[in-house]
Amino acid sequence: MAERPGVYLRLAAAGLRAHARRPAYLAVRTAAAAVLVVVEVAGVALLLDRFGSVGGWRPAEVLLLFGLAFAAQGLALVAGNSLEADKVSELVRRGTFDQVLTRPASPLGWVVASYVDVRFLGRAAAGAGAVVWAADRAGVDWTPGRAGLAALAVACAAAVVFGILMAAAGATFVTVQGSEAVNVLVYGGLYLSSYPMQIYGSALRFLFLWVVPVGLAIYVPALGVLGRQGPPGLPGWLVWLTAPVAAAFLAAGGLAWRTGVRHYVGTGS
Amino acid sequence: MSALIEVAGLRKVFRTHRGPVEAVAGIDFRVEAGEFVGYAGPNGAGKSTTVKMMSGILLPSGGRVEVCGLVPYRERKRLARRMGVVFGQRTQLWWDLPLQESFELVGHLYRVPAADRRARLRRLEEVLALGPLLAVPVRSLSLGQRMRAELAAAVLPAPQVLFLDEPTIGLDVEAKASVRDFLRELNRAEGTTVILTTHDLDDITRLCSRLIIIDHGRLIYDGTVERLRGVYGTTRVLVVDLAEDEPVELPGAVPVRAEGRRRWFEFARDEVSAAELIARLLAGYEVADLTLEEPDIEDIVRRIYRGESPP
Repeated sequence: MAERPGVYLRLAAAGLRAHARRPAYLAVRTAAAAVLVVVEVAGVALLLDRFGSVGGWRPAEVLLLFGLAFAAQGLALVAGNSLEADKVSELVRRGTFDQVLTRPASPLGWVVASYVDVRFLGRAAAGAGAVVWAADRAGVDWTPGRAGLAALAVACAAAVVFGILMAAAGATFVTVQGSEAVNVLVYGGLYLSSYPMQIYGSALRFLFLWVVPVGLAIYVPALGVLGRQGPPGLPGWLVWLTAPVAAAFLAAGGLAWRTGVRHYVGTGS
Repeated sequence: MSALIEVAGLRKVFRTHRGPVEAVAGIDFRVEAGEFVGYAGPNGAGKSTTVKMMSGILLPSGGRVEVCGLVPYRERKRLARRMGVVFGQRTQLWWDLPLQESFELVGHLYRVPAADRRARLRRLEEVLALGPLLAVPVRSLSLGQRMRAELAAAVLPAPQVLFLDEPTIGLDVEAKASVRDFLRELNRAEGTTVILTTHDLDDITRLCSRLIIIDHGRLIYDGTVERLRGVYGTTRVLVVDLAEDEPVELPGAVPVRAEGRRRWFEFARDEVSAAELIARLLAGYEVADLTLEEPDIEDIVRRIYRGESPP
């Protein structure tokens, strides 16, 4: 986005004003996004209560992971929901993306800014609420450092999810059809990362720590928030890698988007 | 001076599951600044593919294209600042917001200085009668109103070149006329180069100084509308209302249609003159009325599409 950021802020503001013209609808949808999280977290809480612990983690500790994941996903979707595969293939099929390309702006900036969706703040807020609630039940003693780690987890996981969405959108320019594989990563990967990493085999663990680092982004900082030791092979200092790895993944997602757009410009719809 | 648009040997090949398809098969033309060019051709001729390559949406497979001295796909954003686009079927405006906000966004996006923007908008609002519509959400505008708004938004940044795709499609007579008046005046007063892609040959004959026709990805005509009539329009039609319904033999003319007592005779203008033909007709039959029809541009173009060569 080499342009003045003001243009994209204006675009986003225009999108928000359009939403705000139907405030009741917006409020209901935002609330629904939040309620969905509450229901899911409650469901998991009920389930976990019957088992007592998962991989040595108490239910409240697991729910903290869930909360972090939902908060991150909500934030990523506020900006990136327009990058979901079916929405991108809609942009392509309707010719809207052709029009985006006639604008003096970055196509990514344009699409992201134009379709900012504040409804997902409902999901993010409910996720954050779940974090606070679970932390209370788990007896977390909030210090600035621990709050910082929780924020780090949310920010990094959001970056990774946004990276996945960009890569998926890039792939959609090639396949045109929306790809279900992406949803597996955005929703499935995040869901799996909501359980303590040690319950997974080494292959899955490697995947979510280093390939699609949602696990690294959520689980490793969460260890610090909960004051727990990681299992063997997951030393505490890994937390320093969270931000760089998430940034690298974000950059890779951006590259995939660019590649997709280049393919689109080469072949048309 | 170099041309505003230069297209040389331009090609585009699409890979499909049935093998490669050459949508644009090597076309050449130059458009000078200030020209108003109609770009026509049957569906699938390669019109929109060419326009996409000129506007930087699509990468050519071969050949050269330059617009405003820029290579469109490589300098897409720079070209976008100097180019206006109206694709008739789709909106460039912000659907859910009052029209006024679309103009403000366009102004910021294209970095039109605030003072210029206000002055220009005032003029556009006046010419296109947009004043009462500014507070109306775009979604509530009629098609004719919306098209006027699209044009205003497209030319607000004072583009050097304007690409129009079917800007009058679906409009009623009055709306069509106001769109055409606006375009003619824009081209005259500001010297904006206009490339008009359309199936509506009325648009072309009323607006364009030059017509380019392509078919099967190749350029098949490039010249004035007048010359097209001269080259292809060598036949005229004599329409006769007979006093009585009777068979008519008219040497030098071919009967092409009959309806009640009305008959249509086609004849070549360099073989027989209309006066001679009418004299022959009046000598043998009682005629209530007659009219002479000049070749219809629509007809001519249809014949070109069918692959008929000039007689």
